[in-house]
Amino acid sequence: MAEPPADLASPEFASLYAENSRAIYYLALRFLGDPQKAEDATHDVFLKAFRKLGQFRGEASLRTWLYRIAINHCQNLCRSWQDRHVFSNADDAVWENATAQTDSPLRVLETKELGQRIQKALDGLSDEYRLLLLLVADAELSYEHVGALVGQSPDAVRGKLHRARKAFAALFEKTA
Amino acid sequence: MKQQTKLSEEQQQHAAEHQTQQPAVKEFATAEELLRYDAAHTPVPPVIAQRLQKSTSDLPGPKPAWWKRWLGGTRP
Repeated sequence: MAEPPADLASPEFASLYAENSRAIYYLALRFLGDPQKAEDATHDVFLKAFRKLGQFRGEASLRTWLYRIAINHCQNLCRSWQDRHVFSNADDAVWENATAQTDSPLRVLETKELGQRIQKALDGLSDEYRLLLLLVADAELSYEHVGALVGQSPDAVRGKLHRARKAFAALFEKTA
Repeated sequence: MKQQTKLSEEQQQHAAEHQTQQPAVKEFATAEELLRYDAAHTPVPPVIAQRLQKSTSDLPGPKPAWWKRWLGGTRP
């Protein structure tokens, strides 16, 4: 966890930011695919959270609550831009027939290009698969949490995750 | 004997150089493991906190959650 920024509005908000800003920024960065847009989105998400903190019911964790705000925000941005080529779920067959190599571990060299390769692979996925992988990558979220965030049952999350992993691996291999 | 030792040192040095030239290969079992690694190495731009500080300075502080107010755990 990063040190809470001392000059944020209140100690409560400062620790909320310190504990969750990396997760929210990373989601925005890889979902939107643009560092400047991710910066704006992270700012807007936390500003919204600051205004609505009093409405937080404590039914979910603060992390889950922030993710919900962030997902809505990023999806609204994507809807209004309409500037991203996405694969529909109809393309699943492509990944189902992908070579067996996609089941092997992902091997990478530690290079500066790793982020670009990941972004390229994520950009080739549908919004649904991209979001699923990004949420499951957060070790703090269980399949139940992820399911609640994407409106799916934990079993559906597991099933889709399998296909999303396969699709990602196939796309990631192509970026090498 | 001394020659042998020298050769061995050269060989060792060569092997060490060769090893340092080899790029480190990392393996990730799943996509999310790779993403977790990437997230851990992606810093949050400090400018976001600065912008938030500016944006929130004119706003009243966040109210405690309704259930905290109800429980009386936090007093204004």
